[in-house]
Amino acid sequence: MRGVLHFLIGLTVIFCIECKVKQDAIDGAIVNSKVDRKIDVSTHLVKMSTSITLENTGKSPIKSFLYALEPSLQNYLSIITANVKDKDEKLGVSQTTVASKKDLSFWRIELPSNLEPGKTMTVDVDSSYAHALTPYPAEITQSQKQQVLYNGNVYFFSPYSTKSQTTTVTTTNTAIESYSKSPKPVSQTDRTVTYGPYEQREAFSEAELRVHYENNSPFLTVTNLERIIEVSHWGNIAVEEHISMRHTGALLKGPFSRYDYQRAQDGLSSIKAFKTVLPAAARDVYYRDEIGNISTSNLKEMDDFVELELRPRFPLFGGWKTQYYIGYNVPSYQYLFNKGDNYALKMRFVDHIFDDMVVDQVTVKIILPEGAKNMRLETPYPVTQGENQLHFTYLDTTGRPVIVIHKSNLVEQHIQDFQLHYTFQKLLLLQEPLIVVGAFYLLFLAVIVYVRLDFSITKDEAKESKMRVASLVEEVQSAHDRRSALYQSYDDAINKYKSTKDANTFAATRKKVDADYKSLTQQISDRQYKDLVALAITLAEKLVSGKINKQQYLDNEKINKTKREDLDSKMEALRSSLA
Amino acid sequence: MLVLSIAAILSFSTRLFSVLRFESVIHEFDPYFNYRTTRYLTEEGFYSFHNWFDDRAWYPLGRIIGGTIYPGLMVTSAVFYHALWFFNITIDIRNVCVFLAPMFSSFTTLVTYWFTKELKDAGAGLVAAAMIAIVPGYISRSVAGSYDNEGIAIFCMLLTYALWIKSVKTGSLFWSCLCALAYFYMVSSWGGYVFLINLIPLHVLALMLTGRFSHRIYVAYSAVYCIGTILSMQISFVGFQPVQSSEHMAALGVFGLCQMHAFIDYVRSKLSVEQFNILFRSIVLMGAVVSLSVAAIGTATGKISPWTGRFYSLLDPSYAKNNIPIIASVSEHQPTTWSSFYFDLQMLTIMFPAGLYFCFNRLTDANIFIIMYGVTSIYFAGVMVRLMLVLAPVMCILSGIGVSSTLNTYMKNLDVSRKDKKTSKKNVDHTYPFKNEVATGVVFLVTAFLITYTFHCTWVTSEAYSSPSIVLSARAGDGGRIIFDDFREAYYWLRHNTPEDAKVMSWWDYGYQITAMANRTILVDNNTWNNTHISRVGQAMASTEDKAYEIMRELDVNYVLVIFGGLTGYSSDDINKFLWMVRIGGSTDRGAHIKEADYYTPQGEFRIDKEGSPTLLNCLMYKMCYYRFGEVYTEGGKPTGYDRVRNAEIGNKNFDLDVLEEAYTTEHWLVRIYKVKDLDNRGA
Repeated sequence: MRGVLHFLIGLTVIFCIECKVKQDAIDGAIVNSKVDRKIDVSTHLVKMSTSITLENTGKSPIKSFLYALEPSLQNYLSIITANVKDKDEKLGVSQTTVASKKDLSFWRIELPSNLEPGKTMTVDVDSSYAHALTPYPAEITQSQKQQVLYNGNVYFFSPYSTKSQTTTVTTTNTAIESYSKSPKPVSQTDRTVTYGPYEQREAFSEAELRVHYENNSPFLTVTNLERIIEVSHWGNIAVEEHISMRHTGALLKGPFSRYDYQRAQDGLSSIKAFKTVLPAAARDVYYRDEIGNISTSNLKEMDDFVELELRPRFPLFGGWKTQYYIGYNVPSYQYLFNKGDNYALKMRFVDHIFDDMVVDQVTVKIILPEGAKNMRLETPYPVTQGENQLHFTYLDTTGRPVIVIHKSNLVEQHIQDFQLHYTFQKLLLLQEPLIVVGAFYLLFLAVIVYVRLDFSITKDEAKESKMRVASLVEEVQSAHDRRSALYQSYDDAINKYKSTKDANTFAATRKKVDADYKSLTQQISDRQYKDLVALAITLAEKLVSGKINKQQYLDNEKINKTKREDLDSKMEALRSSLA
Repeated sequence: MLVLSIAAILSFSTRLFSVLRFESVIHEFDPYFNYRTTRYLTEEGFYSFHNWFDDRAWYPLGRIIGGTIYPGLMVTSAVFYHALWFFNITIDIRNVCVFLAPMFSSFTTLVTYWFTKELKDAGAGLVAAAMIAIVPGYISRSVAGSYDNEGIAIFCMLLTYALWIKSVKTGSLFWSCLCALAYFYMVSSWGGYVFLINLIPLHVLALMLTGRFSHRIYVAYSAVYCIGTILSMQISFVGFQPVQSSEHMAALGVFGLCQMHAFIDYVRSKLSVEQFNILFRSIVLMGAVVSLSVAAIGTATGKISPWTGRFYSLLDPSYAKNNIPIIASVSEHQPTTWSSFYFDLQMLTIMFPAGLYFCFNRLTDANIFIIMYGVTSIYFAGVMVRLMLVLAPVMCILSGIGVSSTLNTYMKNLDVSRKDKKTSKKNVDHTYPFKNEVATGVVFLVTAFLITYTFHCTWVTSEAYSSPSIVLSARAGDGGRIIFDDFREAYYWLRHNTPEDAKVMSWWDYGYQITAMANRTILVDNNTWNNTHISRVGQAMASTEDKAYEIMRELDVNYVLVIFGGLTGYSSDDINKFLWMVRIGGSTDRGAHIKEADYYTPQGEFRIDKEGSPTLLNCLMYKMCYYRFGEVYTEGGKPTGYDRVRNAEIGNKNFDLDVLEEAYTTEHWLVRIYKVKDLDNRGA
């Protein structure tokens, strides 16, 4: 399985070579006057940093030089970068071939300035190789420690001859099982094995370098990563990463005992948890898999990043794999820039998953809002762009454009920003709310139409007459309501008259109320109350003008009042029976 | 209207406790199967679903899924799913499944209102709707995530009943056809439809006996029975059962009786009394002879299948215990205890007879139906815990009627306004002293009942019925919550770290979960259709390692999974279920050597400590559960290997497994997975 994987990776590397047909020749004028190689194999990556002092022994200035990959490592290369010593500026690095050495893999490194004849220049070349370490033994039991084998070249593998060179190999700890002891001089101090210095070696010289040592660092490999970035112009970018990972160290042989694992804390090479670093603005982080939420995670918010400690459902031993997905939201103002209708999305192509991560395959999908056009992608390193897709989700009509990008064999140094330019009309933002509004509008309209239409085939007589009666009853009710209000105002007027004795106002009010009453009585023929009120009026008038004494008035008023109350309650009963 | 919509919303939201407290996840065992089939249906379409032969279950037999399930539930959620996707509402199928039951329960609330309104009046309907919204007996099967047939079946059942009442009342073909359609939906979703197809004929029969038979009922029943039966035969799992099995014979018989009754009525209207009597006697005699002989021939030739065990156990609660251990082993099939009646129904148990009384008070065709429904379902609920579900709605309806009638009676006696008080004092009814006071008391009492009911229901829902059982939670010493997610840990391990075609042996309870979550082939699952196969697994678990190895080789087992709660105190683990494995294992011919008595101490106890029977201490299940457990300290002050469920120190501590090796054990030891070793090399 591993072999096949490496083969595939190798194949893609080779494929990339083919797609950029570049030819170079080896310039015999270049000599490596001093080479200092540091190989760090303390993790599951092989990190090689080579400091090369170039010398131009020829007649003409040199613009670039070639860097050859060791044959044993050329299938494992993840990334290669170069810079002039003590300068940050990265040099142009591109893959190339050499006609005379077809089976080797070369990289051409552009120099910042021409190297004049006789001059020297020191260039640092950093390269990382994934899966270059082989577990040996390939299967271990739970209690055993993991040991790996590094196979390399003692000499700097260069198309040019090398005057002087040293190579140091840094291992995880001092437990070095064995290392190749020739060609001399070879020495070991603590966790470093030093080869050299060697003088005057030919181009492409090789000698086996072999270190067998203990390495319990997590051999964790992301076999497949799918990163989905969904951009919303309403201010949010949702990121979701689907991750399949596998422990690519020595396979677990024999049983897994939970007792030993808990008690003796063994299983040194197993992976219990790892830390993922998310952007500082990440919110609503979730950690799930196909069968639900994974409850074993911790979120720590730091100043400039969010640290997520993830524990897979089970500890990963050699050969075990798992799958999960994490997702979060980030505000779009940090990543989305616009000028008029032109937008640019600037985000990381891949993000941190764990320290010294190795990702075999990446698919990045960028979902843009509906109506985005003229997409143009800029990436920091070459990628394969897949066919654009359409994505449909809430309230979509024509679908959202999806940019699909593939890349294989990535490491931490690949965490770099890509840029995606596109145009989007701001007015389209209103499309989705309008759809909702329109839908509700149609719904209400349909209800209105439905209620007003009569779909019955036959006329329902009973129902119709019922409705007619209902409307009549309503009319009567409202008339009664008005009438009682009117009577109330009569009473009020009388009381007021009694207290103020202002005959003019009373007459005016009475006139007005009478007029109202008249119009109302056309609707209702019940006049009893009116009569009683009329009686009350005369009595009050008599009282005020002194025609009857107070006692008489009170008696009369009392009788009158009870009668009126009776009528009041009668009317009340009538109204409630109608209601 | 407002009350009704509030009740509907309430019934939805009260079921969401589990989602809020845990997550949107499927619960229990059966729902996992339903979920898996639904996913298949949505992905593959209906036809391949219909023809689906599942080779992941019942290895090496396999199972024809399409023909052995009630597809109503899956089709319903698939329809929802596709409808939502059509509008580009990209909701996960899992969420559709999780929220289907709460949604249908709010539909149930509406239907209950309508049903009760048909029976009594709108007031009673509102009370019943409010009650069913929160009745624990129904919530237990319809919380969010409990994605099971019952969730929608109760809705279908009430809908069918409501439409039946409507068609009995109106005698219209339109309502009868709707009723038949609702019945079809019911048949497609739950095996409990048999209750329905027996209850409706019973109702018709009762109406005939009480002399209430009329043309309306004739029309309604004939239409419902004919259309309903033909439709129900479209479900492939039901097939020809409606005309063959004895469970459906009552319906057929009543149908025939209906025709005869109608015919007799017709003849009676044409003939004189004497002629009619002669004719009647001869026809009855002949009819009885003919139908008896047909039934006898049918049974003899196997056309009419005998009654299945589950139905025997319905009629005779002790039947299963004596004859079919597999049915008895399911806790859902146990007889209901009194406490669980109160727990699930609370005040409804008291109000139910009141409702019955009010129904008897005003006997109508519809009321007879609800009375029969109430009485039969209370019997069935007493027989099987699971049928509490059927009882809960009728309890709500009758209590709704009861409460509303009571309140109606006493509300009238209340003196509400002050003005009336003066008048009422004048004409106090001397035959009824303290009328107002009594009324106030009763109203207060009923209100208090209703309030406690609400509190009880909420409490029960949140405490008892809202844990997904796939994720366990416990309270830590400091009051925080500890989550035991061991089941998913183990299933996920199986899913990713075993070969794709690995066969996993476990007790049948976990079958559905393993297929759904671990995606591995299993030997037996919760669809317990093949007793001998389950028995074989039981035998393997109950045998010694060597014997078990033979069985496991025979069944191609690669991994064995056991649930062990001894470390955490999780009591429903495999050791506690072990006696059922022994019983079921010993119930077939091949397992005749396994005798339950061997697993007890001479005193007849089931003990796992040193006193335990040697057969038990050396059987495969024991060894798998306690492998290396003897070295673990579980509780302070106790020796190593102290089992916290059985509160005993295990009796067999230091042993090795010869034919198995520990493949994985979860963090809290809840699930232990063993790998079956290959045969030794020859000569080695």
